[in-house]
Amino acid sequence: MVRRMVTVVGATGLHARPAALFCREAARFAASVRIEKNGRHADARSLLSVLELDVRQGETVVLVADGADEDEAVRALAGALERP
Amino acid sequence: MNRLTGLPASAGAGVGPAWVVDRPALALPSGPVADPEAEVAALDAALEAVAVRLEALAGAATGEPADILGAQAAMALDPELAARSARLVRESGVPAARAVVEVGEGYARTLAESGNEYLAARAADVAEVCRLASAELLGVADAGGPPPGPGPHVAVAEDLSPAAVAELDPARIAAVATEAGSAVSHAAIVARALGIPAVVGVAGLLAAVPPGATVLVDGDAGTVVVDPDAETVARAARRPGPARPAEIVAEAVTADGHRVGLAANVAGPAELRAARALGAAAVGLFRTELAYLRAAAPPAEEELAAALAEMSEVLGGGRMVVRTFDFGADKLPRFLEHELGAEANPALGIRGLRLARRQPDLLRTQLRAVARAAGGGARLAVMAPMVATVADAEWFVAACREAGCQEAGVQVGVMVEVPAAVLCASDLADRVDFLSIGTNDLGQYLLAADRQEAALADLQDPFQPALLRAVQLVGAAAAGKARVSVCGEAAGDPLWAALAAGAGVGELSMAAASLDGVRAELGRRTLAACRAAMRVASGAPAAAEARRLAAEALEELAP
Repeated sequence: MVRRMVTVVGATGLHARPAALFCREAARFAASVRIEKNGRHADARSLLSVLELDVRQGETVVLVADGADEDEAVRALAGALERP
Repeated sequence: MNRLTGLPASAGAGVGPAWVVDRPALALPSGPVADPEAEVAALDAALEAVAVRLEALAGAATGEPADILGAQAAMALDPELAARSARLVRESGVPAARAVVEVGEGYARTLAESGNEYLAARAADVAEVCRLASAELLGVADAGGPPPGPGPHVAVAEDLSPAAVAELDPARIAAVATEAGSAVSHAAIVARALGIPAVVGVAGLLAAVPPGATVLVDGDAGTVVVDPDAETVARAARRPGPARPAEIVAEAVTADGHRVGLAANVAGPAELRAARALGAAAVGLFRTELAYLRAAAPPAEEELAAALAEMSEVLGGGRMVVRTFDFGADKLPRFLEHELGAEANPALGIRGLRLARRQPDLLRTQLRAVARAAGGGARLAVMAPMVATVADAEWFVAACREAGCQEAGVQVGVMVEVPAAVLCASDLADRVDFLSIGTNDLGQYLLAADRQEAALADLQDPFQPALLRAVQLVGAAAAGKARVSVCGEAAGDPLWAALAAGAGVGELSMAAASLDGVRAELGRRTLAACRAAMRVASGAPAAAEARRLAAEALEELAP
């Protein structure tokens, strides 16, 4: 299991296109990935759950991945959140 | 004459008989259900069908409509949405058609109450997706489909979903008027993208418009006139119409009269309708596999033939190139998961024709369906993906013959997307009617650069001189023997299209939204200039340089 704290850089947070791209990216990995914010969490592959978290620019979230390619998954998804 | 006022949503005016598009109220069944597992399976299938439909519409759209429809498709595939609905079915015996609507309403409430404007706008989208899935389960047709009778109609509705608007045929719909909605509603955005005049938020609309009554919709003024007098109609007709995206044109003509066929890449009937609206006269790549990615069993011949017949009818007289199933790599259907699940290098693995040669029944079924559908409106052609050897091509041609394709007048071709096929292009051209270059995969294989690896974007650039040289090689090798087309994304780049024309490519197939730009660019160039630009670009040391040199050469030699 891999955990990593990430601060969201994108201007629209995890809404609109960034959210859809984030979920599509998550679906590429065998590892299950969870995104946590203020004690709530969402399956990174679920667009609706990610939208419900309402992650905004400048907020800090935690990515938790578990599975064969957990390192790659966290690296790729953290990269997506840190993209301006 | 009766004038109603609403909100202008899409510019232009349209007049015609009213076609009242009912959005059927769903009679949601109540439980408990007898067989929850069967309900859950049906629900999964319904969500998949909705996703496929929305993805096809998104693929044909551009800009904001593409984002809206794409996000809706992602919602339909959302694992949480499916899981929550399945839980309701299993634990409370709620029928799937009701469960999915209730779960959708739950999401919609949370999003609407988030206090975030963007999320609130998504609330309607998720509710709509769940409603579509429920309608699919109940076998209720969604609003849409063709209007009754000939001639353009005015679609009149309580409300229309973005998907329902995207599926309207702009050739048969003069305008849209709805009782609900706002100018920023998603349906309005899609209407603008399609160039259909629209007025939304018209209070009392349905009560005022009997079906079949003549209606004038003025999308600039935001008015709807029922039974307009001749003078009102004439006044509206004198105004310049809406910016209709395109007339149907089958080819681009260079400034010196050289013709290049233009066609669209599509994955299904809805996308084809949208492509027609954008001016597509032919289909250069019908991606048949996308509709079956989530199918539990391989499709039967009847089903495939019916799907082809529908496509053929929508297209009318043009040519349609059916690519046989390109399963494998990143496109793995459920019914093949067990056989292909664990390849170390799927892009270099058993995909496309390689899979067909190992499981010939699936291909045979598809080829027989093609032969059966050949009598319809479109002129059908068929081609195989991932052909690597001349023996591959010979095997495919024989399989087509056995299925009766050639006898039914179907042209047979192969895709050129493996570097080996480029080197063997002359021998391939001796055996088939046409070669179709798939630039996306050819680029990936030629430069050994994974399409999924964003860090290698430069190597995936279609202006990579090696890729341009491959196109030149194929053009020269096939000259006088077989027609050469390009069906990769590069074909939709106007500058790249000019270079391809210079290499002897006779047809360019692209996302329909790119047709206008390519046609305009080729119209400004001569064939000699395209040839010269291709020569300098393919000799460049890198992609950026090739692009610059090509643009300069075309400008210098502009007529």
